[in-house]
Amino acid sequence: MVRVKSPQDFWAGLLFICFGALALFLGRNYAFGTVTRMGPGFLPTVLAWILFGLGVIIAVRGIALDGPSIAPGKWRPQIFILLAIVLFGLLIERVGLAPTVFVVGVVAAFASIEVKWKEAVLLSAGVALLSILLFIKLLGQSMAPWMWSP
Amino acid sequence: MDVFANLATGFGAAVTPANLVFCLVGCLLGTLIGVLPGIGPIATIAMLLPITFGLDPLSSLIMLAGIYYGAQYGGSTTAILVNLPGETSSVITCIDGYQMARRGRAGAALTIAALGSFFAGCVGTVVIAAFAPVLAGFAEKFRSPEYFSLMLFGLVAAVVLANGSVIKAVAMVILGLLFGLVGTDTQAGVTRFTFGVSELYDGIDFVPLAMGLFGFAEMMGNLEKKLEDRSSTQKIDSLWPTREEAKLAVPAVLRGTIIGSFLGILPGGGAVMSSFASYTLEKKVSKSRAMFGKGAVEGVAGPESANNAGAQTSFIPLLTLGIPSTPVMAIMVGAMMIQGIAPGTALLTEKPTLFWGMIASMWVGNLMLVIINLPLIGLWVALLKVPYRMLFPCILILCCVGAYAISSSTFLVMMMAGISVLGYTFNKLGCECAPFLLGFVLGPLMEENLRRSMVLSFGSPTIFVERPISLVLLLMSLALLAMIVLPSFRKTREDAFQE
Repeated sequence: MVRVKSPQDFWAGLLFICFGALALFLGRNYAFGTVTRMGPGFLPTVLAWILFGLGVIIAVRGIALDGPSIAPGKWRPQIFILLAIVLFGLLIERVGLAPTVFVVGVVAAFASIEVKWKEAVLLSAGVALLSILLFIKLLGQSMAPWMWSP
Repeated sequence: MDVFANLATGFGAAVTPANLVFCLVGCLLGTLIGVLPGIGPIATIAMLLPITFGLDPLSSLIMLAGIYYGAQYGGSTTAILVNLPGETSSVITCIDGYQMARRGRAGAALTIAALGSFFAGCVGTVVIAAFAPVLAGFAEKFRSPEYFSLMLFGLVAAVVLANGSVIKAVAMVILGLLFGLVGTDTQAGVTRFTFGVSELYDGIDFVPLAMGLFGFAEMMGNLEKKLEDRSSTQKIDSLWPTREEAKLAVPAVLRGTIIGSFLGILPGGGAVMSSFASYTLEKKVSKSRAMFGKGAVEGVAGPESANNAGAQTSFIPLLTLGIPSTPVMAIMVGAMMIQGIAPGTALLTEKPTLFWGMIASMWVGNLMLVIINLPLIGLWVALLKVPYRMLFPCILILCCVGAYAISSSTFLVMMMAGISVLGYTFNKLGCECAPFLLGFVLGPLMEENLRRSMVLSFGSPTIFVERPISLVLLLMSLALLAMIVLPSFRKTREDAFQE
C-alpha cells in the first residue's frame, strides 16, 4: 500500500483525470477535423488530453511529495444547503414564490448548528413577504406570488 | 480626441436622477453583501446580478459598477474593523488597518481608505477616458491571432496570480475552458456535452455557475467553521485623521494611485496585484519602516488607493478589447452579454453614449461610496453583529431566485446545486476557482480565434509568432511563466500569499 503524502494533490489529480476521461468519452464522436479546418471535437479532445495528463502529474506528485491534508468536512451544512436549493427548484413552479421562499428559508437555516426554530420560522416568513415586494412588485419578475393548485 | 468633451457626454447620460438612484442602491447593496465575511466581489456581483436584469443597459451597468465598488469597499471595511478580508485585494489592508483599529484609530483608517480610494477612483476614471480610445484604436489592428495570444496571456497571468500550486491552477484553467465549450458549436452547428438538455444549448449559464462556485461553496465552507466572534469591540470615536496621519497618507495615496492605474491595465493585474505592489513600495520608501505591521498609516492609504485604481483601470482591456482580464471582469462580461452588449472596440464607435456613460458612472460610483460610507459606517459596524445564521438563508434565497429568474428554468437552479458541490470540492482540494472562471469565459472566444487563425494561416501555427503584436504577447506570457520558475520570484509569491 502506497502512502499518499499529499491527499489534497492526490485527489485533485484524480478529479482532473476523471474530468479529462469523461470529456474524452463524451466527445469521442465529435469530428476532429484538420488543423486548418478544426472540427467541433478538436479543442475538446486536445484540452481533455492535457487535463488528463496534468491530472496524472498532480496525482503522482501527491503520492511522492509532502503536502497539505484535506481539512475534514461536515455533512450538515452541505446537506441542508443542497436540500434547500433543490427544494427551491422543485417548489417554485408548483406553489409560487412566497411559500417556496418560506420553506427554503427554514430548511436552509438548519445548515447552521446554531439554528433556532422560532427565529428561523419568523425570519423566513419575513423574507417571503419581502421577496414578493422586491422581486415581483419592484423588479417585475414574472413569478406567481402564490399558487395553491398542485 | 477631447477627453473632457467625451466625459461630458458620459455624464450627461449617466447623471440622471433615476441612474443616480440605481448607482446608490447598487453601492448600498454591494457594500451590504461585501461586508459579509467570506463573500468577495465576485460572489457579490454574481448574487446581485439578477436584480439588474429588468433595467435598460446603461442603468444596469451603472448599478453593477456601483455594486462592484461597494463590494470592494465593503471588503476593506471588514478588513479594518475585524481583521477579516472580504476579498483577496483587501488582505493587505488587514495588516495595518486592523492594527490601527486596535489603537483606536479605526475611524481614521476608514476615512483614509475611503478618501484614498475616491482619489484613486477619480484618477482611474480619467486614465480610462484618456487611454481607452487610444487603446481601442490600437485594438483595431487586432485580428484573430492577436486576440488568441492576448487571451493566452490573460490566462497565464491568472495562473501566476492564483494562490497555491501553479500546476493545479493550470489544470483549473483547462477545466474551465472545457466547461466553456459546452453548448452549440456555432461553426459546425453541433451541440457538445449537452446531454440533450435544451438549457445547455447556449452553453452553461454564467450566473448559476458563478453563484455555485463562489457563493454557495463559500457558504458551505463558512458554516463548517466555528465562526469567530465578529463583533468589533473598537469604538469609532473620530472619523478624521490627525494632521500627522494625513501627512503620511497623502504621498502614499499618490504613489498607490500611480501603481494601481498602471498595473490594472495589464491583463491579470487588477486590484490584488496593485495592493500588494503598493504595500511593498510603501514599506521600502517609508522612513519609519518599523511601524509597518503595527498600524502604519501608509500601509492602509497606499494599498487601498492602489486597489481601487487597479479595479478601475482593469475595465480598460474589457472595454477596448472585449477581453476580461480578471474574474470580476469576467462577471461584467456575463452581465453585458445578458444586456445584449458585446464589449469591445465596436462599443466605443457604435454606442458612444453607453461607453462614456459607463465611464462617468464609475466616477459617480466612487463618489457615492464616500457619501454612503462615511456617515453610514455605524450601520455597517452594526451589520457585522448580525449573526451569520440569520444572514446566509437570505443570501441563499437571493441566489435561488436570481438563478431561476434568468430564464424561468428550474434546471438552472438544480445545476447550481450541482456546481456548488463541485466548488466546495475544489476548495477542499486546494484548487482555486478564479482561474477556472476566467477559462470558462474565455473558452469559446479562444476556440473561435484559434480556428480563424488556423484558417488564415492554412494550418500553420507559426502565424502566432510571425505577427509582431502577437509575438510580443506570447513573449510576455513566456516571461511570466519563466518568473514562476525562478526561485526568487517564487519565494516572493509565496510570501505575498502568506501575508
